[in-house]
Amino acid sequence: MTKVGLFLCECGPNIAEAVDLDKVTEVIKGDKKVALIERHRLLCSEDGKKFLAESIKKNGFERIVIAACSPKQHENTFMEVMTRAGLNPYLFQMVNIREQCAWMTPDKELATQKAIRLIRAAINRINYHTPLKQKEIECSPDVLIIGAGITGIETALRTAQKNRNIYIVEKNELGGVLNRLQSLYPGMQSARELLQKKIKEIKSHPEIKVFQKSKIKEILGFFGNFIARIETEDKKEVKLNIGSIILTIGGETFVPAELPNFGYKKFENVFTADEFENSVINKENLPQTIAIVHCVGREKFGYCSKICCANSMKLARLIKEKSKNTKVFQFYKELCLPGKEYDQFYKETKEQGVEFIRYKNIEIGDHKIDYISEDEIKQSLSVDMIILSTGLVPGKDTQYFANLLNIPLDDYGFFKEEHIKLAPVSTITEGISIAGGCQGPQDLNDAVIQAGASAGRTLSSLIPGRRLQVEAKTCEIADSICVGCGVCVRVCTYGALTIDESKHISVVNEVLCRGCGNCAAACPSGAARHRHFTNQEIYQEERAMLK
Amino acid sequence: MEQTFNPRIIGFLCNWCSYAGADLAGVSRLQMPPSIIPIRVMCSSRVDPLFILTALLRGSDAVLVAGCHPGDCHYQYGNYHTRRRIVLFNKIFETLGLETDRVRLAWVSASEGGRYRDVVTQFTEHIKEKGPNPLKKEIFL
Ligand SMILES: Cc1cc2nc3c(=O)[nH]c(=O)nc-3n(C[C@H](O)[C@H](O)[C@H](O)COP(=O)(O)OP(=O)(O)OC[C@H]3O[C@@H](n4cnc5c(N)ncnc54)[C@H](O)[C@@H]3O)c2cc1C
Ligand code: SF4
Ligand code: SF4
Ligand code: SF4
Ligand code: FES
Repeated sequence: MTKVGLFLCECGPNIAEAVDLDKVTEVIKGDKKVALIERHRLLCSEDGKKFLAESIKKNGFERIVIAACSPKQHENTFMEVMTRAGLNPYLFQMVNIREQCAWMTPDKELATQKAIRLIRAAINRINYHTPLKQKEIECSPDVLIIGAGITGIETALRTAQKNRNIYIVEKNELGGVLNRLQSLYPGMQSARELLQKKIKEIKSHPEIKVFQKSKIKEILGFFGNFIARIETEDKKEVKLNIGSIILTIGGETFVPAELPNFGYKKFENVFTADEFENSVINKENLPQTIAIVHCVGREKFGYCSKICCANSMKLARLIKEKSKNTKVFQFYKELCLPGKEYDQFYKETKEQGVEFIRYKNIEIGDHKIDYISEDEIKQSLSVDMIILSTGLVPGKDTQYFANLLNIPLDDYGFFKEEHIKLAPVSTITEGISIAGGCQGPQDLNDAVIQAGASAGRTLSSLIPGRRLQVEAKTCEIADSICVGCGVCVRVCTYGALTIDESKHISVVNEVLCRGCGNCAAACPSGAARHRHFTNQEIYQEERAMLK
Repeated sequence: MEQTFNPRIIGFLCNWCSYAGADLAGVSRLQMPPSIIPIRVMCSSRVDPLFILTALLRGSDAVLVAGCHPGDCHYQYGNYHTRRRIVLFNKIFETLGLETDRVRLAWVSASEGGRYRDVVTQFTEHIKEKGPNPLKKEIFL
């Protein structure tokens, strides 16, 4: 019989006063599964840890149960002590008799009864524990960045450092959207100059390798060990070993062809903001009156694209710069101009004689705009040219990468972040980050901030020379029981399970498995087993609790 | 004196939200009946319906499964699976003519100590009114 040591912690007065530990000792003492009961005033103190380590050695305990605070508080503390004392840290169960017992049960008698039940559950369970290995894997610190718009370029510059190769793969020319822009709001600096400077920087950086006009053909592997196959500009195939990937493939501007009331492609003097800034503004003599219509597509996709209001004002200024006498109208629904520079930007735009008209409904006709104004009045305005400020939508290849890398998309089709507030550039797939327009509509500032965030996250997660610790409480599949039904494969969020077609069984990739246990609950044959939370371990807890 | 019935309820709590929420209830010294005996699992989706069945057959008066709110599961979609499984479980119980209100699913986040107390208190009251689990006397394991 294995020697199990039970430790009761008083936690100063915290536990001692609310739970009758003498009674606990008296009741449990008769249990043959426990070799010895020890007690300490403050087990997590230096003195307490020493006491624990010495007691393990002196008494030759093989497994440990500690009744103290919540495992979320000190499980790791005691696992370390066990490791140092030469025991496998998983041959340990912590019983929460403080938070979920002493502190929520005012009646001492009842609290004591509950504590006894919880301790018995742990004692029942502990003999079913198996030692688990703390696994580590070799990994590559190199990074693959996909998409070389401004976000990708910034990300590359910020991840580049000695002992680390950065590869950036772009399907077209470098630069993305900025290639098509004249200037950038709110500072109105030249987009081209900024871009040229950055492109020069990455091209000359010793740690960055740039692949232009290249294609991602395949990506296999997992965090720390991805392999990417790339087809280069001259149709050669290159294989890259990388540890992590950052997706910066941007978004696209909405093309309003499917919204008939905006007259796009119907009237030759209607352009999108993108087209106007990219070419129209350069070629033509600008006409007498131009209307810029905001919020094009917003209703259809159900979100505000953040950039179009400010961008529309930028266009108004560019127009005024070129042709002072052109009259510019802004047709807006809501003005969205948050941030510290934008009140001023708006004021200055207005001062240049740009007129703002709020619309409820709009219909674009031949050289005219029919609209219903804010106060529900039908009006009409003749104009020479119309610019549609269209929103930003997910790029074409977003779905492709979502499938390839097992990243979910949000309701709008952008890459879904792991947590919108707390982990905005991570994805659920470890080792894959997102930044820039592919995560959602954003302006340059946001894109650059996200570039920095994803670079920081990537650098700190894969340090050259460091090995990667992987979850120990993963699942395992019993080959001889598994029938290859694939139920487990379908419930696993992380793509950790696959069916081995030759053997017709499920196999688990222990690096990808995060140890949620869902597969073990789903498996109809009992072949999938969740380490440290096996059926047996849980039934043993139940059995003791219901005695 | 009539003996009062103090129900015993197995409570499966997911590590990331509900277990933390229950801890917070304790830290905030919120008082509640000692009826719930917690079993920690990493995710509510670890709860095999057989765990629930076994608990009921072994004499648990009820079973609580608590996990993160929809959309907040630490493993993204685990709790959606849990929800389906519990619905299915109760459907089977209903078909068999057994009680379906002894198994309850609740969402409790790590910051909802008060909610944990309310769930525990109300569920305990409900089970108290219903009386002991009849399966307890009928089937032995
Ligand atoms: C018309 C317009 C005007 C704007 N004006 C301003 C402004 O004045 N001020 C401001 O702050 N912001 C402005 N913005 C927003 C700003 O341009 C964006 O926030 C920023 O450019 C986003 O950069 P990005 O690198 O994320 O995306 P992008 O610039 O779209 O770059 C993505 C890159 O990824 C590449 N790519 C896509 N798929 C693949 C693939 N499968 N393989 C390899 N590469 C791929 C694309 O070719 C592209 O080069 C404007 C946006 C638009 C559309
Ligand atoms: S181990 Fe936990 S219960 Fe014991 S003294 Fe430390 S905090 Fe208190
Ligand atoms: S335990 Fe969870 S993460 Fe691991 S294989 Fe099973 S379902 Fe996937
Ligand atoms: S659910 Fe179970 S039996 Fe089916 S493939 Fe997965 S491990 Fe095998
Ligand atoms: S981790 Fe809480 S329900 Fe999945």
